[in-house]
Amino acid sequence: MIEVEHLTKRYRNATAVDDLSFSVPRGRITGFLGPNGAGKTTTLRVLLGLALPTSGRATVAGRRYRDLSAPLRSVGAVLEASNYHPARSGRSHLRVLAAAAGISRARVDRVLAEVELSDAAKRRVGGYSLGMRQRLSVAGALLGEPELLVLDEPANGLDPEGIRWLRNFLRSFAGRGGTVFVSSHVLAEMSRLADEVVIIHRGRLVAHQSVSELTLQAAGATRVRSPRADELLGRLSDAGVEAESTGAGTLAVNAPPEQVGDLAAEAGIPLHELVADPGSLEEAFLELTAEPEPQQ
Amino acid sequence: MNALRAELLKAVTTRLLLWFGLGLLAFLVLVLSIHIGSHDLEGLSELSTQRSTLAFGGLAAIVAVLIGSLLVTGEYAHGTINQSLLAVPVREKLLGAKLTAAVIVVFAIAVLTDAATLLIAEIWYQGRGVSLHLGRETLAPFLGAVGASMLAGGIGVGIGALLRRQTGAIVAILLWLLIGEGVITAVGDASRFAPGHALGAVVAAHEVGSRDMLGVWPAAVVGLLYAAIFCGAGFLVVLGSDAPSSGD
Repeated sequence: MIEVEHLTKRYRNATAVDDLSFSVPRGRITGFLGPNGAGKTTTLRVLLGLALPTSGRATVAGRRYRDLSAPLRSVGAVLEASNYHPARSGRSHLRVLAAAAGISRARVDRVLAEVELSDAAKRRVGGYSLGMRQRLSVAGALLGEPELLVLDEPANGLDPEGIRWLRNFLRSFAGRGGTVFVSSHVLAEMSRLADEVVIIHRGRLVAHQSVSELTLQAAGATRVRSPRADELLGRLSDAGVEAESTGAGTLAVNAPPEQVGDLAAEAGIPLHELVADPGSLEEAFLELTAEPEPQQ
Repeated sequence: MNALRAELLKAVTTRLLLWFGLGLLAFLVLVLSIHIGSHDLEGLSELSTQRSTLAFGGLAAIVAVLIGSLLVTGEYAHGTINQSLLAVPVREKLLGAKLTAAVIVVFAIAVLTDAATLLIAEIWYQGRGVSLHLGRETLAPFLGAVGASMLAGGIGVGIGALLRRQTGAIVAILLWLLIGEGVITAVGDASRFAPGHALGAVVAAHEVGSRDMLGVWPAAVVGLLYAAIFCGAGFLVVLGSDAPSSGD
């Protein structure tokens, strides 16, 4: 659905995106992660034709955004919540977009209802809360009934209720067969929402995997509790498995629970607890984007 | 056509035009009152005085250049250029729509300004007991004001695209009109070719020029050249630059 091929974007003295390549498959929710300044927004803006690439290309369904015959009917984009004329009403803002894309006025009222902004439609956007502006952005993205949504930090500034609304909305959109490409630095939210993630750091790709694969890689030690913990520690050591006592008959073992359980069973050592410490997207993200230690 | 409709809708869904219209009307009342009130009855009866009175409709051209620039710079000031480019990603098309919309909007403003000028002048002349002659000789500046406003709107769009900063564009335009045009008068006859002088000559609508002022048609060609140069340069800048963003 989205193809980014050897994309590089340089500003005067800085390289925001550096030979970045990845693809986003159709019908899935793909998260786009990276620390602040990693180049996420720049990549999305090049994809949407708002910034010009230094080299490489970014396409939607094989075409540059500007070459799409009906862009708003193909791609719905949610960018910064500040891209509004404060004196224009929410409805007028959408009517302008609808007019530009040849979309009917009736559709404007339908999307306002869909994002629960009908009551505020006639109010000036300058008086909207940040959450209402985000919803208006989503309404604009939905105007053309696109099959792809591209969102840049859509949860920024939203309260918990707004975040839940957004999550449910995106799930519902994807459930109807839509494709979602969403950048965020709210990792907990992304791990609940995305099927897969693209992680970039300093403008370069560092990972592109499913969320489950990533969290598995980041899985931590196995915690095991036994009345014969010292004996188990010796057995593990003999088997070449790293382990350490964490007190009160508990060990932290650097091996999967299956291996620990088998070794204990062979030695006839009873176990009272055997728990795999689940990894998290946050741990995986921090590992992948960790800055190298400065050399002495 | 869709892009043009959207640009016209943008122009009428804020209060920009309303405030400019009210400001222009108030200014017209003021300057026409001073102009007509300061002439004696004999002077008011002269066709040349009546013609210069009705030429005050040309003030619309000053508003036109500001509106033209604001239709572009306003998008950058509020970040709405991003939404506009998402809806109309072919920048040449978007800029073409903006230029056309600006010309249509300032055409309407110039016609309304002419009508207001005529109404205010008529009220003053009747009040002073002098009949206002309405014929080709006195009404020519009305067409000139419309033409000059359309050219000024085009120049304004070009300046807006070139600078893209709202305050910078307004300051540049006002400085040029208030100081630049005055300073350039010192160069002599060549000052007739300055943008303000040329558009003034279009408003004055004299078929034959003088040492101080071009004839209406040469002046219109000069105005058109300025519009083409500013739009050409401004559009090249927009085509070759990124839309503004605050993200990473």
